[in-house]
Amino acid sequence: MDPEKQFINTIKTALGRPGNQPPADLFTTSPSQEEKTLLEKIRTRTHQERVPLIEQLRQTVPSLHMDLHLEAGIEEAARAIGRLILEKEPEWGTSKSVVCWDHPLINQLKLSEVAELGQIPIHNTGYDGTDPQRKKEIRSQVEASFIGITSADYCIAATATLAMKTRPGHARSVSLVPSIHVAVVREEQLLADLRELYTLLKWDEAERKEGLTRNLTLISGPSKTADIELVMVHGAHGPRELHLFIIAAD
Amino acid sequence: MELTTKAYKQTAKKAIADPILQSALAGLQSRLGPATASLYENLPEGPDLRAKAHAYRRKAVDNLDIMLVTLAGKIRENGGEVHFAATAKDAVDICLDIAEKNNVKHVVKGKSMVTEEIGLNRALMDKGIEVNETDLGEYIIQLAGEKPSHIVAPAVHKTRKEVGELFTEKLGTPYTDDPPTLTRDARQALRKKFMAADMGISGCNLACAETGHITTVSNEGNIRMATTLPRVHVAFMGMERIAANLEEHQAILRLMSMGAAAQQIGGYVSYIGGPAAVDHADGPQAFHLVIVDNGRSRILADEEFREMLCCIRCGACLNVCPVYGKIGGHSYGSAYTGPVGAVVTPLLGGINEASHLCQGESLCGACRVACPLNLNLPRMLLALRAKLSEGDPRWNVKPKSRPEKMLFQVWSRINQNRKVYDILLKLGRLIQKIMPSSNHMIRRLPWPFSGWTQSRDMKPLAGKTFMELWKEHQGGRS
Ligand code: SF4
Repeated sequence: MDPEKQFINTIKTALGRPGNQPPADLFTTSPSQEEKTLLEKIRTRTHQERVPLIEQLRQTVPSLHMDLHLEAGIEEAARAIGRLILEKEPEWGTSKSVVCWDHPLINQLKLSEVAELGQIPIHNTGYDGTDPQRKKEIRSQVEASFIGITSADYCIAATATLAMKTRPGHARSVSLVPSIHVAVVREEQLLADLRELYTLLKWDEAERKEGLTRNLTLISGPSKTADIELVMVHGAHGPRELHLFIIAAD
Repeated sequence: MELTTKAYKQTAKKAIADPILQSALAGLQSRLGPATASLYENLPEGPDLRAKAHAYRRKAVDNLDIMLVTLAGKIRENGGEVHFAATAKDAVDICLDIAEKNNVKHVVKGKSMVTEEIGLNRALMDKGIEVNETDLGEYIIQLAGEKPSHIVAPAVHKTRKEVGELFTEKLGTPYTDDPPTLTRDARQALRKKFMAADMGISGCNLACAETGHITTVSNEGNIRMATTLPRVHVAFMGMERIAANLEEHQAILRLMSMGAAAQQIGGYVSYIGGPAAVDHADGPQAFHLVIVDNGRSRILADEEFREMLCCIRCGACLNVCPVYGKIGGHSYGSAYTGPVGAVVTPLLGGINEASHLCQGESLCGACRVACPLNLNLPRMLLALRAKLSEGDPRWNVKPKSRPEKMLFQVWSRINQNRKVYDILLKLGRLIQKIMPSSNHMIRRLPWPFSGWTQSRDMKPLAGKTFMELWKEHQGGRS
């Protein structure tokens, strides 16, 4: 018998199956009334109702060592990010370069047109799946960049969590390898808490269709460790800083 | 599983005599214990969530066959490979085979207890493969050639000075005892390893059957690095680490973060369901999941211990245990330390071989209160002790001490016979007069009871029993 069958049979024997039949409700089948109400609430949330979410986010970020930037529009965000690129020093080596997701919101920032950035290269991780050479190039650009700029699917106010599914163009390493992670989301992408996130992931039609993808990552703050005498240090392996930009609804 | 539980007493003694370790353990417990407790009190869903989560875990374990088949099916649909390993050796061989087929020379690892359990690092290194632990605590103890002493903070027993000296010796960095600088030194050294690695190995905190994902949790980001940058990702999972659906998964995952580090949610949580797709700009080209039994099906088959398979290895029980807080992790003699280790190590590694562990715990019940799933560890500790005293062929347990058992049998006989009891009582009152005593306390008892008075005095028997007093006062009326 192949090892897999044998393995599962051992479990069946240990469980005393057959005889002990599995219950019918192991997996979820339909949303509860509560979940339906919550979905509706998220869909119809107004700008006014998001004000408390932003307030909550503002209170959460300091303990997670994150920086929150509230911007009135795309241009303002682009300028602020430009300033950040100029002000911050690279951690490894001396030359500056930046890598961005190939993502509609990030592309709208048009960072390569921000005049002050001059010669600083702004790469992006657009990839169509055909050229392995290009993939290598992306990897080395990510490694060389000191700032990585991504968006996210959602941003959760209660825990300052960014939720990102994996998709073409959205290289995972951009939020991981550069020393500074800049995440840009629109105010409409704010959720109140993790419960809202999971309700969407489970029951929103588009989310269900897409599934969690091959890699869904939840990020709450920059990399940290307390492994030496319980002293908290930021920047263990991932980014040392995480700047969250929220662009106000127009 | 490599056990060093025979040295339990010596290791514990050393730990108790080490003032630096004592203060590190006290610091850890005073910081994490109360913080976790206060998170439980403020659960948005109310305190019931923990009981619910216990039931979710139990449901998954009770239907483990269906859970695993579902998970494996989904992962294969997404281009991943799933392997089933009945023993530690099978699991190691599967990994060696993947490494050979992919021509792997450099491995980076995220912290994983099950790979410790199966002895994976040794096997890889014997094949000439370089293996680097990347969790900072694990990295430190790997450099020092030591074993982890805490589930979440593996190097809690090392001082910053020791880490500084270690890094100077092994990494050639200038000596410092400044944790941020030391962290940066390790960051720099490991960054090169991450970039060069061709295989990343991770554990799995909790899989989700319905969606077909494993999850990994870290605060350092090392697991994301190890599962994003190398071209091959191999994940190891104890077969019980699974939840049925996303709702149940998220509840358990959050509780785990609270138990592990007093967080609402770990800094980085990744749901991994397969290799990167062809049009993804990065991510591993191959994803392998190795599901490990290695003695777990025996626990599953025994109703008395099945509850232990609900454990999610968060380490919360370590952070409150008065015994762990004194003797430290190394005394437990395996990767699983503290109260969880005292139950799991005997069940996986042999009840006789690890008998000290369950006998050393105090049964105070603090672990049960701190466990995010309210697992009844004290009950299982008692069940293990019962096996040790009675023996159990199903678990290959030989009764631990025949004389002790006989002594208790005699004791129970005496207690059942009032006359014999009274005679012996009188005899005792006579004998105790010649025992060395002071301040109305007996200082020393003769062998075989001498152990009892080694570090405490004993109250002498009262001149009259309660029954005798009762008779006098009531004139014999009951
Ligand atoms: S027994 Fe409970 S507290 Fe201890 S590691 Fe397991 S789940 Fe965590």
